[in-house]
Amino acid sequence: MKIADLVELRRQGWLELERMCDSLQSIKYPFYKNGSMVSRFSALYRAACTDLAMSEQYQLPPATVEYLHRLVGRAHSQLYRSRRFPTQKWVHYIGVIAPQSIFRDPCVKVAFVVFFGLFTLSAILAWSEGSFPGYAERVLGAAQIEGMEKSFAKPLAGNFNQYVTMSGFYIQHNTSIGLQCFALGPLILPSLCALAYNGVVLGATFGYMTRSEVEQGDVFFQFVTAHGVFELTAIALSAAAGLRLGVGLFATGGLQRIESFKLNAERALPIIMTSVILFFMAAFTEGFLSPSPLPYFVKASFAIFSSGLLMVYFVVLGYPRPELSHELATSEDNPWRTIGAGYAAR
Amino acid sequence: MNVQDAIDLNAVVTTPENIRFEYRMAGPFRRLPALVLDFGMRIAIFLAILFFIALVGITGRGLGGGFLFLGVMIAWFALDWFYGLFFETYWNGQTPGKWLTKIRVISVDGRPINAYQATIRNFLRLADFAPMVSLEMFSADAPPMYMIPTFLVSLVCMILTPRFQRLGDLAAGTMVVVNERSWIPPNIKLEDPRVVSLSEHIPANFQMNATLAKAIALYAERRSRIPVFRRLELAAHLAKPLLVRFDFRDDTSPDLLLCALYYREFVSKDAFTNEKRLSLPPPIVSNSLARSQNGLPLESPAEWKPTSDSASLPPILNANPADMDVVSVSAIKAPI
Repeated sequence: MKIADLVELRRQGWLELERMCDSLQSIKYPFYKNGSMVSRFSALYRAACTDLAMSEQYQLPPATVEYLHRLVGRAHSQLYRSRRFPTQKWVHYIGVIAPQSIFRDPCVKVAFVVFFGLFTLSAILAWSEGSFPGYAERVLGAAQIEGMEKSFAKPLAGNFNQYVTMSGFYIQHNTSIGLQCFALGPLILPSLCALAYNGVVLGATFGYMTRSEVEQGDVFFQFVTAHGVFELTAIALSAAAGLRLGVGLFATGGLQRIESFKLNAERALPIIMTSVILFFMAAFTEGFLSPSPLPYFVKASFAIFSSGLLMVYFVVLGYPRPELSHELATSEDNPWRTIGAGYAAR
Repeated sequence: MNVQDAIDLNAVVTTPENIRFEYRMAGPFRRLPALVLDFGMRIAIFLAILFFIALVGITGRGLGGGFLFLGVMIAWFALDWFYGLFFETYWNGQTPGKWLTKIRVISVDGRPINAYQATIRNFLRLADFAPMVSLEMFSADAPPMYMIPTFLVSLVCMILTPRFQRLGDLAAGTMVVVNERSWIPPNIKLEDPRVVSLSEHIPANFQMNATLAKAIALYAERRSRIPVFRRLELAAHLAKPLLVRFDFRDDTSPDLLLCALYYREFVSKDAFTNEKRLSLPPPIVSNSLARSQNGLPLESPAEWKPTSDSASLPPILNANPADMDVVSVSAIKAPI
């Protein structure tokens, strides 16, 4: 048979496949209720695939082969559409996979030590004015200290409208900072610097406010106690996720550098997601509970309750359980790859 | 596993059907317009939400201003961080900007991206925008514009990776490919109706092998962009041994012979039915004496030179379009 006759024979199928691709691109689920159309589409796609595979044997002219490449590519991206969020597995992912992977991650430990270590150190330096005079003023700056003292001069009071407004601001502002900390992770230094900066400045603020001669200290602790647990943990976690990305660039563990980078991005995802959720919870606490004139007892109880909650989540749920290892482990000996949650990257 | 062409910017994808096909990759300057369009789109959506909320704030007195502000802030946050993630997941790897510029994100193995990959590559966008500069870094009295992205990280990263991947692409295992909706193949024109009659004289038992067929098809597809005398020169390399093999006259135009071969191999009989056909005297040399009289030795086709003097060629076999009645025939209709 001549090649031209063969092409003529196949052409109708190709054109029909092209028309189907057009209609698939314009409508969302055009074949949703039409099973025969779906099977027709896949049959045409398979036929085009076969033609492409046999193009050497059929001796198709190069222009036709190129046309077939485009056609198969288009049909392929319609047939294998993107996978949506595995919503049915979210409970499992948040409740089981995420705490397990966070607990065993050394980067989380490093970030926590760096953040809370600098926080404590800075707080002590700022508090003991006798031993380290002028530390808090140098770190925070005189203008910022003045502004802080002014804003915490009056006892806390607010109305509901204000609470909602502030929650909105905190959601946008704080969570963005956390996500930025994560996003800058591959460049390593910005992420670490942000973490250290936050630790030092927050520590200095806390230390300064603890000084006995600062009168605004009471109001300050009235404000920060409730949401502090969530927010400080979230800051440390977001930097830990960024650190995980950056570490993957040089601690490759025998993988290719790019493969290791991909793997570590996968490991970092549960950490940053937990951090985002904590930022949201902190924002609502900061918006509603913290500025309210409720007694300090209530706020302290909430702080204890939230610490307990985090303990249960990270330690009790996260404590390594051998029976879960099959969900975390894969052939590539990767404890973070989460096959159980439908996130297998390959 | 997917391989990549050494020279071309094509990514070869192997599908579950065990088919290999090619995608053309989108470079940084194809992706920048998409980024700008998406940025504009985000601002437009945010302004629309602001407008809507302002309307609600004017009309709905019962609602507190706090909730409206909360809505604005959440919209800002969501547009900032979840715009690309949402569209790439639900629009099959395309955001509105990518859809307008006809590019698409796919995984490096050729499958469409999943939600996980879209999350990673969109969260890491900020690292690709780095380093950020501020106008105030250059002069103190410049207008306060913070965070102007320079895209240097992504640009360097794209230059260094064979698939033009930025950092987020590397982490998520994705690449951006050109996604043209339809593609018009080059229209192959065999202007000369004598092609048909010449093809009928080619011996019926002549079988082309795959390499020759491909070479001839490539020649026929590209010859319209080659000047006439260059065509003759190019075609001579292939045509000269064939002329000898078919026992054709030595002054047969090589270009015409290759077109005839192309016609014989690739074009269906119906393509020329409505056109007038020229009857051609057989180009067969009757005896070997005639060939030697032409003075061209058999074994050295390299000595054959295309002559620029068209008058010396017999009028019928002359491929110079100047004295040819051009019947423009699009030999093969799309999709070839």
